[in-house]
Amino acid sequence: MVRLITHNLLACHVKNCTSNNFPLAFKDLGDTSLPAEQPDMIDDEFLQKLHHVLLEIHVEEGSMVCPNCNHVYPISNGIPNMLLAEHEIG
Amino acid sequence: MPKTSVTPAQIENNPQAHEDQHVHAVYDKIASHFSSTRYKPWPIIAHFLSTLSTGSVGLDAGTGNGKYLPLPLDRPPGSICTIGLDRSRNLLEIARTAGADVDEASTIKCMPREVIWGDVIGKGWRDGAFDYAISIATIHHLATHDRRKLAVKRLLQCVSPSRGRILIYVWAIEQDELSRRSVPTESYTKNDSLAESGMGPGRDVFVPWVLSRQNTNNGKLKGKLSKDPLASRSNVTDSTQSCTNGTSIEVTLMLGPDEPQVFNRYYHMFAEGELVELVRSAAGDLGIHIGPIPDQTLSSGPGMEWKGRGLEIVQDGWERSNYYVELRCWEK
Ligand SMILES: [Zn+2]
Repeated sequence: MVRLITHNLLACHVKNCTSNNFPLAFKDLGDTSLPAEQPDMIDDEFLQKLHHVLLEIHVEEGSMVCPNCNHVYPISNGIPNMLLAEHEIG
Repeated sequence: MPKTSVTPAQIENNPQAHEDQHVHAVYDKIASHFSSTRYKPWPIIAHFLSTLSTGSVGLDAGTGNGKYLPLPLDRPPGSICTIGLDRSRNLLEIARTAGADVDEASTIKCMPREVIWGDVIGKGWRDGAFDYAISIATIHHLATHDRRKLAVKRLLQCVSPSRGRILIYVWAIEQDELSRRSVPTESYTKNDSLAESGMGPGRDVFVPWVLSRQNTNNGKLKGKLSKDPLASRSNVTDSTQSCTNGTSIEVTLMLGPDEPQVFNRYYHMFAEGELVELVRSAAGDLGIHIGPIPDQTLSSGPGMEWKGRGLEIVQDGWERSNYYVELRCWEK
């Protein structure tokens, strides 16, 4: 199960990919409930949306892409695959 | 009756290939049977998890069947969030529903667990992103001293440098009385020379896991069938495990008519003091000072102007045939 709280901890670890390597970008997540910028006022409505996004969205199938090197980390059956091929390991 | 015993292991040239063959592939094959024998959390680990503050997020590096993911049980579900990392995909499928309360309609009532498919020497997370990390019975599966040290470094890197807490368990050469288990002596000589060359003490062994045909399908443990010599640390009743001459263990198997499959898992059994030394060495590589949290009330004196990262060894010891160490990070 990839909830966004987990996604928020992940970073790309391909060899030499050490900057701008998170957050990994979801392909087609389709959730726009949160504003792009942190609002000045943190009210209950915002916290509820944040809770929804962090804990209630489960990504079962999909992929995450490194914003720096474009490495694709697939998600299958709710499990993200963070393994690298031998030549990609730093 | 087939017999299996703990045997010395030779590491092939490529440690990654060695682990793939003798650790990852084995766990993928024995996942459900293995999981059926692993459900009772050890007290020190359960206590460690129950002392974490509410809202903590942690990493379980080598989560296996995820038996620590639902803990602590004495607090409301979700009071902390442990994310399970493992190399075995099949174990992760089990870990996803660890501790699930499955009702009559087979509906899983708990929140599915968070798990990641990855290697404990990989680094697929932001530095310092976790409040705590545990690595239970995992680092002993890595085939070289450098790789074991790297695994410890990854734990030190993944937690908060100012307050991260870490608990590590590895299998010990010194086995408890209960299991009456011992390991081959012939590998002593070999590893003593390894120790001198800086490769670390301890012993490399294969530990057989016997899988009957019955176990391959649905993972139900049948009667007296067994045995992993490690199983006595969980709740499984051993059949006829006997220590023969003090130099190697023999496990006599009570088997059905079907020939069982035997999988040899690789272990590096830790010597006394080796785990703490590994932690010291990993911390040293990262420029982390080992010592207690300095008294913040002292504003002057030698070393007071020093700024950097520290690591306190909160406790270390031996429990149930394993060595453990608990660590706490600090920064000033
Ligand atoms: Zn990258």
